[in-house]
Amino acid sequence: MQYHTFSEAETTRRGAEFVKQLKPGAVVAFYGDLGAGKTAFIRGMVRGLGLDDYVTSPTFTIVNEYLGPVPVFHFDMYRLGGADELFDIGWEDYIAREGICCVEWSENVEGAFPEDTVRVSIRKLSESERLIDIDMPEVAK
Amino acid sequence: MRILALESSARAASVAVVEDGTFLAQYYQAKGLTHSRTLMVMAENILRDMEFTLADMDAIAVAAGPGSFTGIRIGVSAAKGLAWGGNLKICPVSTLEAMANQCYDNSVILCPVMDARRGQIYNAQFRREGERLLRLCPDRAISLEELMAEAKRSDAPFYFVGDGSALCMDAFSRAGIPALLAPENIRLQSAYGVAKAAMGVTPVDGTEVEPRYLRLSQAERERLEKLSTQNKDK
Repeated sequence: MQYHTFSEAETTRRGAEFVKQLKPGAVVAFYGDLGAGKTAFIRGMVRGLGLDDYVTSPTFTIVNEYLGPVPVFHFDMYRLGGADELFDIGWEDYIAREGICCVEWSENVEGAFPEDTVRVSIRKLSESERLIDIDMPEVAK
Repeated sequence: MRILALESSARAASVAVVEDGTFLAQYYQAKGLTHSRTLMVMAENILRDMEFTLADMDAIAVAAGPGSFTGIRIGVSAAKGLAWGGNLKICPVSTLEAMANQCYDNSVILCPVMDARRGQIYNAQFRREGERLLRLCPDRAISLEELMAEAKRSDAPFYFVGDGSALCMDAFSRAGIPALLAPENIRLQSAYGVAKAAMGVTPVDGTEVEPRYLRLSQAERERLEKLSTQNKDK
């Protein structure tokens, strides 16, 4: 699945559409450069679930929780040394809470993702254009 | 000796008061509410309802691991806080040993198991000799395959207790290995088991208590997972 967007607002809207295809317990790994729009897309996902939380990059907090009937757990793995440090941020407990886990800087913890992890890659085509590639494994549908 | 016991290693949260080995009270809930909101309230309520104060306790017992990262942390922190404020010592116990303490079958190998995800479990083995509980191996994280291999070599059937019980019973049934399942009312962790396990433990200062997670490194987990997939293909 692929989205071609021409503004940040459109990236956010696509996130709101996309989240409706996910089931509670889904893990979504994001890939893309700084400023590609990962947080904008995730903001859309949160809005799509009916939550009006302030969605911001968890670079310093490591994980943000947006609570609701289906909560969203927004991770930024930049500060982690690797997958070994996942347990110490409560990763396993988050997965058990049956929300939607969105992970930025997924490259840092690659080996630890479950089999049915959805992968979203966002590429900058120009200043405001983005190509969003979504890989949904069969088992996640 | 009067012990206030706390258990929050998995989905359920419970607190118990035990006096000289006699079980006085236990509060238990498994609705899935966050332990950070429920555990201290339950501890406060049980003391008040039993007409005790913290000063009437001689020690705090707590399940220090293995278990959920957040759950164990909440339990250990609550125990340390109560111990510090009440000038009490702590009896940290293994979550697995606490569960074995709930079981009384002398003809089996007591096998507490907790799901560590991706085909791995936290496990230890015990036997009952009359009232005594004998530990047969240290707490460890192993694959289901290794557990089944051990069961095949064993002279007595495994008796499962803990949240990994259903997972293990399922695998054992499919492999044709006889095993038993603890009845539902004692199948999960409880503060009662923690209190019983604490009876044999010398209380220590709160500053010496740390969670014992038993986590394998990511590399070891991936290796075990690869081995178990290879074995499945054989």
